[in-house]
Order: sequence, then C-alpha cells, then structure tokens
Amino acid sequence: MNPLNAPESSAAVRGVGIGLRAAHYREFLDSRPRADWLEVHSENYFGDGGYDLHVLEHVRGHYPVSLHGVALSLGSANGVREGHLAKLKRLVHRIEPALVSEHLCWAALGARHFNDLLPLPYTRGALDQVVAHVTLVQETLRRRILIENVSSYLQFRASEIPEFVFLAELAKRSGCGILLDVNNLFVNSVNHGFDPIEALREIPREAVGEIHLAGHSAAGDLLIDDHGSRVVPQVWSLYEVACRQLGQVPALIEWDTAIPPLDMLLDEAATAARLSQAEYA
Amino acid sequence: MRELAALQARFGSALDAHEAEAGALQIFIGSAAQIRNRFGIYRGNTRANATKAIEAAYPIVAKIVGAEFFTGLAAQYRSRFPSQDGNLNEYGESFAAFLADFPPARELPYLADVARLEWQVHRAHYAADPAPFDPAQLAALSPEQQLRLRPWLHPACRILHSAYPVAQLWEVHQDAFSGEFEVDFSGGPAHALVFRPQFRVEVAQIGDAEAAFLAAALDGATLESALAAALSLDASFALGRSLNEWVESSVIVDLKLDGG
Repeated sequence: MNPLNAPESSAAVRGVGIGLRAAHYREFLDSRPRADWLEVHSENYFGDGGYDLHVLEHVRGHYPVSLHGVALSLGSANGVREGHLAKLKRLVHRIEPALVSEHLCWAALGARHFNDLLPLPYTRGALDQVVAHVTLVQETLRRRILIENVSSYLQFRASEIPEFVFLAELAKRSGCGILLDVNNLFVNSVNHGFDPIEALREIPREAVGEIHLAGHSAAGDLLIDDHGSRVVPQVWSLYEVACRQLGQVPALIEWDTAIPPLDMLLDEAATAARLSQAEYA
Repeated sequence: MRELAALQARFGSALDAHEAEAGALQIFIGSAAQIRNRFGIYRGNTRANATKAIEAAYPIVAKIVGAEFFTGLAAQYRSRFPSQDGNLNEYGESFAAFLADFPPARELPYLADVARLEWQVHRAHYAADPAPFDPAQLAALSPEQQLRLRPWLHPACRILHSAYPVAQLWEVHQDAFSGEFEVDFSGGPAHALVFRPQFRVEVAQIGDAEAAFLAAALDGATLESALAAALSLDASFALGRSLNEWVESSVIVDLKLDGG
C-alpha cells in the first residue's frame, strides 16, 4: 500500500497546540485547557499500560493528538530497529493519532543508543539511506509521517547538499511530510552562519504538515536548543515569514526543561495564533 | 552507505571515549578548538540524558547516598552499562547488579537490594492495566470449585526477598513520609510486595506466609496449593482476610477456573 493513499488525518489538526508533559497531566484530567491540539513524545508511552497511557487515552478523546518520536534513529547506517518500530506501531494503533512525526537525525550505533538527536552528514548516500528508512516506517505504520529538521552544533566536511535541500529531497522521494522547526532553523542559521530565510525557500510548501516553536539559550557564540524558555523575538519574526510562505500550517509550542505553569505555554500558543492569523488575513 | 557507517562509528566512539575524540574531530568543519567545544555539547547531552533516566528510576538510592555520591555512581554506571534503548525508561536495569559489585558502595550492604526494589517499582509504572474484576461472580461456585480457582496477580506485582527490610527503607525515604524515621534491621530477612492499585505504585513489607502464597500465585498455583504453601509457614494464615485485602488493593485482579 502506498502510504500517500492512506487516510490523511492531519486535516484534524488546526491552530496552535502545545506539548503535553507530565507536569500538566492533572490539569488536563481535571479540566479542558484551551489548547487546539496536543503533542507527546511517543517513547514515553511505549509501556503496556499505566498512568501515562491512561492520561493519553483520556486526552485523545478531547483533543487531536500528535505522536512525536525522538529515538527511532532514522539516519542510522545500521537501519531502523524492528523492536522500536513495533512499539511505535502498537502505540499508533492504540491512540490513532492525527499526526506522527520523527527527526532527521541518528542516535543508534550497533547495540548502543546515544539518546540524543545527532546530526547527519548531508550526502547523497545518507539521503538514500534515510529515504529507505522513512519508506519502511511509513509502510509499517501504513501512514505518512512528518520529518523534523534538528538543531545542530557541528557540520560534517562530507556534506554535499544543504540541510533543507536534503529534507526537501527526502519528502519528494519518500512521500513523507516536513515538520518545520523554526527555532531549530534559527539556531542552525546562527551556529553555522547561513541565511534562514533563504533556507526556508528550499522548503516545498505542500510538504509542510506542522511547525514547531520553542525557546533556546545562548552559550558564547553558540545557540543551544534546550526548549527551556519562551520563543525569542527573532524566532517569532522567522515564524511570520514561514506563515507567509507556507500558508495555514498547524503549529506547536514545545517546552521540555524547566517546565513552566501551563498558562505560560497557552500564552505562547496565543502569540503564535495571533501572528499566524495576522499573516493569513 | 559505508561512508555513513564510518562517520557514525567515529562520532559514536568519540562520544563514549575522550581518547577517540582526536580521530573524530577531522570529520567536522571548523577549528579544532571550536569543534572540541561543540562536540562537548553532544557528549554532555548524551550523558545528561542517561543520568536523568537513572535519577528517575532510583530516587531512593539517591536519597540514601546523597546527591553527590549518586552523581558519581551514575557516571560509573553509564560507562560500564551504556544505554542501548531509544526509550530511556528502559535504561538502568543493571544498576542493582552494578551496585552489588561496586566497592565504594559496599558500606551500605542493603543498597543493591533497595535498587532491585526500585527497578521493580519503576517497571510497575508501565505494566499493563488489568481488566475489571467482580468477585461477586464467584459466589455461585461450590467450595470445592473455589479451591480450584487460580488467583491472578496484577501485571505490576512483584515480590522481592532480601536480607534487609527494603520495603521499610523505601517507605521512610518517600518525600511524603511523615512518620518516625526508623527502620528495624533486627527482624532478619524480609519480603517486599510491589503493587499498583489504580496508577500509583506502592510497596509493602509482607510476612513469609503472604509471600509464599503470592509467589505460588505468580507461578500459576490454585488457591488450594497457594494456601498450602502459606499454611506450611504460618498455621494462622487467614485466607479470607488476605484475599479480601489483596482484591481491594488490586494485588489479585482475577480468580479463574481452569478452562474458564
């Protein structure tokens, strides 16, 4: 079955969502905070049962849910681990999410897993590999997935093509969608010295299924993608440019370290909604 | 493809071993100092993520030894038992074995058993949810049939035997514990029961007879043979009272007749 012919459920996701983290479970069980949709890290729900899955099954009845994986390691030369993919498949079957996404990165090397989003060399050979792995995942899950650009601190000498050309080619060849992380784009533009607006032009408008927004921190001349603060003004500006270029795309506020009260996330989401509406109007 | 594998092998070895760093630096763009600095971020991330997973699974061991010593333990553990799973909730299974074998931790002989208990508590969090159970349906059975029932334990349930009162150690180190900070080491070997009523994992110290009964049940025994195992250790073991208590606290989540 061609995954592109699978029922496309991303239409259910509209507006601005937030990342659901354990610190805010109680509020989502007791009330219905005004978020348009929710995204969780898939691996946190790989268990057979228990509280996390209980909460996720509860919220999926009230909000569109997106499963965002952090550890499938689509860029590993070793290939995709069957066991990890089987657990993701079980979760997708259980939750029937509106969106499923992963990262353009690697983390597994032989038996070892580094539990981080490590950068890839952007070579033709690596592209062939990632296309094959994304295709396998889409065939296994019987649906289209979105692939996210990651933030990075190092670039390989071996790289032959720009990151966003690599991502666009991946989308074209595998049929996957793109999850554009605007913060990661900004972080990389500073860390590696390129024009983020020019990089945005490489992105095929029709492939983008979701946008991520998050905060980062600075360490000397380097920006660190730590998802631990509000979105900075330069990233909001870049988001406005992306909205103008891409049209209506669901966006998400991510916050993973020093998690603030839910109200602050909802406030960030409201800012994103206001900015995007201003661009579409 | 071979090129990708080679680059990842060099990247990965340098993440795990400083001495491999020199060989990896040449694969990146930039000055040696800049690359070294930036590579350090990746090394820091991968270590911090593994450490956070160990801290999350072993909060009581951390409390017992103190934050500073625990950070050292986690660092040693990480290098001897590096993470192998993308799901960090799976990381840390060998921590008890590591502690038992780690000379600086020998001053606290019960530490490895506390870790063994904490791993079961950690796993219990992710165990399957049992189907609802109504004990009233069993009332129609004859007493002979009832003895042939097989008690089913909640998938989260585990029984641990230790030379130390690990359930007490676990309890007095809970954040919410407000009782007297006292652990009775004079009682000799003890059993700890890990169970999960609703979604909160709990730990209780249980007696020899209770442990024998539940261990038999975990092995698939009938009520009759589990009861015999319990009575052989304690002639005063009261089946009815224990069953009620265990059904109430979701230790026993079903009683099944063979073939039914």
